[in-house]
Amino acid sequence: MTPIKIILIILLLIVLRAFLVQKTLILVKRVVAFLMFFFLLLLVIFPGVSTRVANVIGVGRGVDLVFYFSHLFLLLLIIALWRRSTVLVGTITKLSRAIALQNPNKPREEKDKGED
Amino acid sequence: MACSSVWVVIPAYNEAQILRDVLRELLNYNRSYHVVIVDDGSSDGTATVASSFPVHVLTHPVNLGQGAALATGIEYALGEKAEIIVTFDSDGQMRPQDIGTLVNEVLKGGIDVALGSRFLTSPPSGMSRMKRIALKWATLLTKLTTGLKITDTHNGMRAFKAEALRKFVITQNQMAHASEILSEIARNKLVYRELPVTIRYTQYSKAKGQSIFNSINILFELFTGGTK
Repeated sequence: MTPIKIILIILLLIVLRAFLVQKTLILVKRVVAFLMFFFLLLLVIFPGVSTRVANVIGVGRGVDLVFYFSHLFLLLLIIALWRRSTVLVGTITKLSRAIALQNPNKPREEKDKGED
Repeated sequence: MACSSVWVVIPAYNEAQILRDVLRELLNYNRSYHVVIVDDGSSDGTATVASSFPVHVLTHPVNLGQGAALATGIEYALGEKAEIIVTFDSDGQMRPQDIGTLVNEVLKGGIDVALGSRFLTSPPSGMSRMKRIALKWATLLTKLTTGLKITDTHNGMRAFKAEALRKFVITQNQMAHASEILSEIARNKLVYRELPVTIRYTQYSKAKGQSIFNSINILFELFTGGTK
């Protein structure tokens, strides 16, 4: 086994671990993470597989195919993160506005009126 | 309708430096107005300055944007049984006298909202040519998207009948809320009238105000649809 393969396998294991330690991860995502891990492991150990697949769909080299798909994957990831951040901003907005509305600082005259 | 039901909503973000003058001028003009300052997560003591005046102060724990601050202030004023709600800027550009003009127009009846415009009389002095062109394009875009014939789409001074505002949905946290308010006026088929107001372009407000490049951001915010 060449050194690059060992490095890539170690990196894959680190990524898989980072994924699986998340306690909130749902089962489907755990299964998908495992499948992705084994698929990438296959590509690392047998690089010829990616070249064969690449040739079937009309791409010259396996490494190019992996390159294209990783770009697509990253793009989807950015969209997913962006959507999640939009939802988070919405939640923070609701919370902040609720906090502001619950704690109004009224002018003194009105406070006095309230105390009477 | 008595003056006591007029609520002036002022969003403020890091305006401690100018807010004192703005509030002094506003309260000197008409002490019967209920004023709501929405401190939008400022870090310069804006809320402290506001609290030294007889006004209502609401504080967002984090900075959300002018649209969100207006929405908070409007919701609060509606809860306090406001009859007329005015939106006003905190940077000293607007004149309190113009509030009176807009409020009187709403009080006369026949309209739901009075909108301030910088372009009904002679062109405003101190406004850059680029800004004028950008605003001209904005009026065209507003006409195309909402059908409203407005001469000034991004004027922050407006006076609403409170019941008209109850139907409003403001989702744009940042600056695109100005376009959103116009869309809501069109969607709710409100009767509106534009009235001339004077905007004072001081060095302070120019430095704090919107760069025309922000119009690109506003379009992007509208395109992506705000916070849900």
